[in-house]
Amino acid sequence: MVNLYLKDDNIKVKVSNSKSLREIARKSGASMEFGCRVGDCSTCVAKVVKGNELLSPITQKEIFALEAMGSSDKDLRLMCQCSINADEGEIEISYFF
Amino acid sequence: MSHLVAKLSKSVDFIGAFDPKIRTFDIIMKTANGSSYNSYVVRGSEGVAVMDTVKKEFSDEFFLRLESVCKYEEIKYIVLHHLEPDHSGALEELMKRAPKAKLIISGRAVMMLKGIIKSDVAFETANTGKKISLGDKTIEFLSTPFLHWPDTMSSYLHEEKILFSGDVFGSHYYDERLFDDEVGDFSYAFKYYYEHIMRPFKQYVLQALNLYSRFEIKTIAPLHGPILRTNPQYYIDKYEAWSSEDKFRKSTFGKKMFSVFYMSSYDNTHKMAEVIMEGADTVEGIVASMYDLASLDEKNMIDLLEESDAVIVGSPTINGDAVKPAWDLLSCMAYLESQGKIGASFGSYGWTGEAPEMLHDRMRWLKFRLPVQPIKIKLIPTEEELNDCFAFGKEIAEITMGKMVEMEI
Ligand SMILES: Cc1cc2nc3c(=O)[nH]c(=O)nc-3n(C[C@H](O)[C@H](O)[C@H](O)COP(=O)(O)O)c2cc1C
Ligand code: FES
Ligand SMILES: [Fe+2]
Ligand SMILES: [Fe+2]
Repeated sequence: MVNLYLKDDNIKVKVSNSKSLREIARKSGASMEFGCRVGDCSTCVAKVVKGNELLSPITQKEIFALEAMGSSDKDLRLMCQCSINADEGEIEISYFF
Repeated sequence: MSHLVAKLSKSVDFIGAFDPKIRTFDIIMKTANGSSYNSYVVRGSEGVAVMDTVKKEFSDEFFLRLESVCKYEEIKYIVLHHLEPDHSGALEELMKRAPKAKLIISGRAVMMLKGIIKSDVAFETANTGKKISLGDKTIEFLSTPFLHWPDTMSSYLHEEKILFSGDVFGSHYYDERLFDDEVGDFSYAFKYYYEHIMRPFKQYVLQALNLYSRFEIKTIAPLHGPILRTNPQYYIDKYEAWSSEDKFRKSTFGKKMFSVFYMSSYDNTHKMAEVIMEGADTVEGIVASMYDLASLDEKNMIDLLEESDAVIVGSPTINGDAVKPAWDLLSCMAYLESQGKIGASFGSYGWTGEAPEMLHDRMRWLKFRLPVQPIKIKLIPTEEELNDCFAFGKEIAEITMGKMVEMEI
């Protein structure tokens, strides 16, 4: 299990491999924002403070979204595009950055 | 048209259009005397930039004004501060008439452009810091997203200290005298516009004001209503105060507001509300209160919601639904920021009991944090069930005060 800490909600969850961040948000009641849910609107952008390498690899849509925001911060991810991609480790995510 | 164009400064002209007949704007706003779609032309030694266009129906008026101040061949840039149709309505036609002009939109606008104009057009994107030159004039862009569209940006004309603020600082107020020192009293419209358009995005307003503060601003040229040239700082201060207000009130008391909203016909949901409030009130730092939705009007709903850190909504199930005032309450979130607020729902029911879960789902779409599952009780709550309500209130209040939630998924 991966230890995921959602900093701004003060939620700590143990999550299993391949769970999507959307499912995790829904089940934990986190206030993570989602809009289109398909990687087009950037509403769900969040900063992976720790453990980005334990998430699914960055997608083309995310690269495009970062470009559009004029940011080069590789730890900014679209939460609707991410899932857990590890069996153990620590991830920390912040929605306000 | 009383006067064809109006000068903001030596090299900037107003070329927008007036809409005195409009009474409802964007479905959600009323306007008592109409509005305007402001558009501007900036002239430099090496060409002209057109800042936004107008709503499609007003294209003729726009092109008439435009033609009176420049030739299409002179247009080097067309800047759209956001793509909403009230400002992009004449874009396609303008690009046809000025084929050499380069379109400038924000990075976030790219994915929306195809939804606004159907033909393929060449464009360049701008984020904070990008500058364009018209020879002796320089325009610098500022990324001011979500005010009120995701792609909103602003720009600043250095030589004449004019801020093109997009919809920020706008008013739906029609007055062809145009400048704040010459028009009628538009202060109510300025505030109303903020409350309906900018209020849900307060954090972004503060970010934008921070960017604006880098510049000395002599004139604010918004996209609707009067041009603000007498004392721009006055309007900036208003936005700053309105956007910081709620933080100020809360920090004054150092408490978190826990509000229970309910409706009840035979007192069952009401009893639950009382006990939830009592449970919450035992938590240090919480101020719990309850409100009967039957007696709240929309304005009060908005103000209470804005101040509440935790929003607990109770409704009986009536004909397979939550009651209308509960939906009305949640609809008010359209005017507010919801991220960061805690939500929960409850209610008494007779045989199906969908209401609390429906409210819970709705709050999820509204981006509430929902740390506990809804609670529903069949008809009259028992002593034991009321204890559950007490624990429910207390748990939510503790989480509101920062208690960590741990779970496995
Ligand atoms: C005040 C306002 C707020 C809006 N908010 C959203 C939004 O949150 N999400 C979205 O997808 N579109 C949003 N839109 C865009 C509209 O949904 C879009 O312009 C749509 O095409 C309007 O449809 P209509 O022509 O049927 O009114 C908003 C538009 C306005 C005017
Ligand atoms: S929700 Fe729209 S990009 Fe993720
Ligand atoms: Fe707009
Ligand atoms: Fe507008």
